[in-house]
Amino acid sequence: MGPVTMTLRRGELAAVMGPSGSGKSTLLSLAGALDQPTEGQVLVGGIDLASLRPAVLADLRRRTVGSVFQDFNLLPGLNARENVSLPLELDRVPLHEARAAAEAALGRVGLGDLAHRFPDDLSGGERQRIAIARAFVGTKSLLLADEPTGALDSVTGERIMRLLRELCDAGLSAIVATHNASHAAWCDRVLYLKDGQLAGSPDSVSAAGGA
Amino acid sequence: MTVRNSLLAILSGQSAHGYALKSTFEDSTAGTWTLNIGQVYTTLDRLERDGLVEGVSSDDPKRRTWQITEAGRKELSGWYEAPVLDDPPARDELAIKVLLAVAADGVDLTDLIQRQREATMEKLQGYTRHKRRADPDEQLPWLLMLDALVLKAEAQLKWLDLCEERLRDRRAR
Ligand SMILES: Nc1ncnc2c1ncn2[C@@H]1O[C@H](COP(=O)(O)OP(=O)(O)OP(=O)(O)O)[C@@H](O)[C@H]1O
Ligand SMILES: [Mg+2]
Repeated sequence: MGPVTMTLRRGELAAVMGPSGSGKSTLLSLAGALDQPTEGQVLVGGIDLASLRPAVLADLRRRTVGSVFQDFNLLPGLNARENVSLPLELDRVPLHEARAAAEAALGRVGLGDLAHRFPDDLSGGERQRIAIARAFVGTKSLLLADEPTGALDSVTGERIMRLLRELCDAGLSAIVATHNASHAAWCDRVLYLKDGQLAGSPDSVSAAGGA
Repeated sequence: MTVRNSLLAILSGQSAHGYALKSTFEDSTAGTWTLNIGQVYTTLDRLERDGLVEGVSSDDPKRRTWQITEAGRKELSGWYEAPVLDDPPARDELAIKVLLAVAADGVDLTDLIQRQREATMEKLQGYTRHKRRADPDEQLPWLLMLDALVLKAEAQLKWLDLCEERLRDRRAR
């Protein structure tokens, strides 16, 4: 990756576009501290992530960053609610609290009624909404979505973008890597990556505002 | 042709004055196509000459109520039955500009493409903001029109990506 400076405000939804291999997934992993740079720094709120003790960093990451992928990554043996509450339970949140938070999150993605369904009995769009609920449940403030609409048809994909838009309007921040321009257009800002570098003038695009 | 057939389509539902035809046409094209009233009257005159509509109740064009004739209904169903072929294709200024830039010396295509990409994306973001606010029950024509505009912008962006890839391949060879 070349030097990439991006600022994500609270409540902002940003898209990262660019050809295959341009570094979209890499940028998302670095931004979410899911991966460390071989060179250079990742500054979050002015703090160099590498200066944090590994345990502190792991804690911070678990509490603040949620991820969503193209293939949903739900555990097939757990129902929707259990999938969503699992990260909280692993974080030693008391069980009844974790469940209540999971149910609230499922309600926000419009799937309150399907809490007991297993992933195999849900459509792709529904699975992705559950994965999104799992990614923001609890105290998370940053959501990283790597091609979250990649496996969905255009109407279902649009529903996912509408949902991300609503969540960000309510205060979440999110970065979405996507190949789909119509989906990127739901974002406040679109960044273009080319060979690991930002292309163009993100500021002029950001000034245009979002959906 | 589109205006002519659109007026027939509106009149097939109910007879109307010129002014009502103008506003119904504009509503059903979601405000993306405005007609001036003179254009409506000229078109109605031609339709009358061809026996596809007839004016009733008054000789004053502004007060006249127009109704569709049997021949007009036949013409209209012919229009609905014929698929729309963009033939010859409408001229595409962007495509022509890029082709000329490829042939010319000293034009920075990477910059040209990126500027166009950002501008088209900005338009796409604008359409999307409208889509967000559109009520799918009350404003279906508007929403469908926005979908069409969104997909055209998306096609343009995909084409720009493809141009960039092909140019990169050419440089690599
Ligand atoms: N862990 C890694 N170590 C070294 N190089 C890597 C690693 N992961 C990815 N890369 C390389 O970094 C570059 C960017 O990859 P990345 O997966 O971020 O691209 P992308 O934009 O997400 O592509 P796609 O659209 O295909 O998902 C590629 O050349 C890839 O081979
Ligand atoms: Mg990727």
